[in-house]
Amino acid sequence: MNVDQLIDRLSQDVAPVSPSAHSRRIVIGIAGGAVVTAALVLTFLGVRPDFHRALTGFSFWMKWAYTISLGIGAVLAVSRLSRPTPSPLNIFWLLAVPVLLLAGIGIGELVRTPSQDWLAMWLGHSWTVCSSLVLSLGIPVFLGLLWSFRRMAPTRLRAAGAAAGLAAGAWSATIYCLHCPEVSAIFVLTWYSLGIFLAAAIGAALGPRLLRW
Amino acid sequence: MQTSEGQLKQWMTDGLDGNAVAHEALLRALVPLLQSFYRRRLRGAEDDVEDLVQETLISVHTKRETYDRERPFTAWLYAIARYRLIDHFRRRRVSVPIEDVEAILMIEGFEDRSGASMDVGMLLASLPPKQARAIRQTHIEGMSVAEAASAAAIGESDVKVSVHRGLKALAARVRGVTL
Repeated sequence: MNVDQLIDRLSQDVAPVSPSAHSRRIVIGIAGGAVVTAALVLTFLGVRPDFHRALTGFSFWMKWAYTISLGIGAVLAVSRLSRPTPSPLNIFWLLAVPVLLLAGIGIGELVRTPSQDWLAMWLGHSWTVCSSLVLSLGIPVFLGLLWSFRRMAPTRLRAAGAAAGLAAGAWSATIYCLHCPEVSAIFVLTWYSLGIFLAAAIGAALGPRLLRW
Repeated sequence: MQTSEGQLKQWMTDGLDGNAVAHEALLRALVPLLQSFYRRRLRGAEDDVEDLVQETLISVHTKRETYDRERPFTAWLYAIARYRLIDHFRRRRVSVPIEDVEAILMIEGFEDRSGASMDVGMLLASLPPKQARAIRQTHIEGMSVAEAASAAAIGESDVKVSVHRGLKALAARVRGVTL
């Protein structure tokens, strides 16, 4: 096919594109995955029995503030990295802020807690499953983002994969909070972060293969 | 004939609003731009140039959602063209010497951001003379690293380091100017 024929063919199909189409596609991908993750949590894990009481406490909102702020930062990074034009990424060092704030709360907790209770506080009741649940519940969100990426044009595939993994991990953790009864900051800082950042690392590893176009 | 950024951007945004005539005009205007972009980088491989031009037109068409109407069109276009070129090398398993990759990645980004209006000579004048000379010789006058090294009576690695540092300084400077 010569270039004139190609252009004739491409010009047959010029659907209008709204200025918000790009961000809408990212939101749909994440929301679609999140619905599946939420269904899995509700079906197989169940909402924590004291959910209503937890809504009035500090630790539930601390966990949500942590995972949601990481999730929002990661989505902004996905949005930027899914466009081809190079742009500075320095601002995403701000993702360290929630981690540091949570670490600050964790230090406060340790100071107030007798040291013989530190280990129990750190391991909670569910440290053996927390990270792997956060990681595996992130898979549907990651798949949703892969769908979004099909119409996108990332040029830094590893970074884009890492951002997608981070978004998947952070939103999966946000949904997992509905089930998880843990209360301590150092628990969240360790086991939630482990799951979330493993998801980002796996995303970075898979990015060059999965996000090529 | 080169079409201006303003005209290309107008066609692109009209195309995004659903105007098929503008979209077609855009794609036709891109053909010579892309041909010269790829010809400069793939000397003598005319078939590859034609393939890359067509692949890039398809990418421009299928990825048009990723164009941000607030930003320059040509920066977006050349980001796609560069990606297609790197992907082409990867598929052919052509290995590109590291200084060429740097030229592909850095010079282009720097050119796009600074725009044609910015005086390259003025920017180079802000660098230490050795770096400015190394960049001018290898990237503007088209000398090889070896030729530039013997012209300046310095080592080849010295030239590479000067080019690298100079480009980095320029990139930082241009970022600082435009943001």
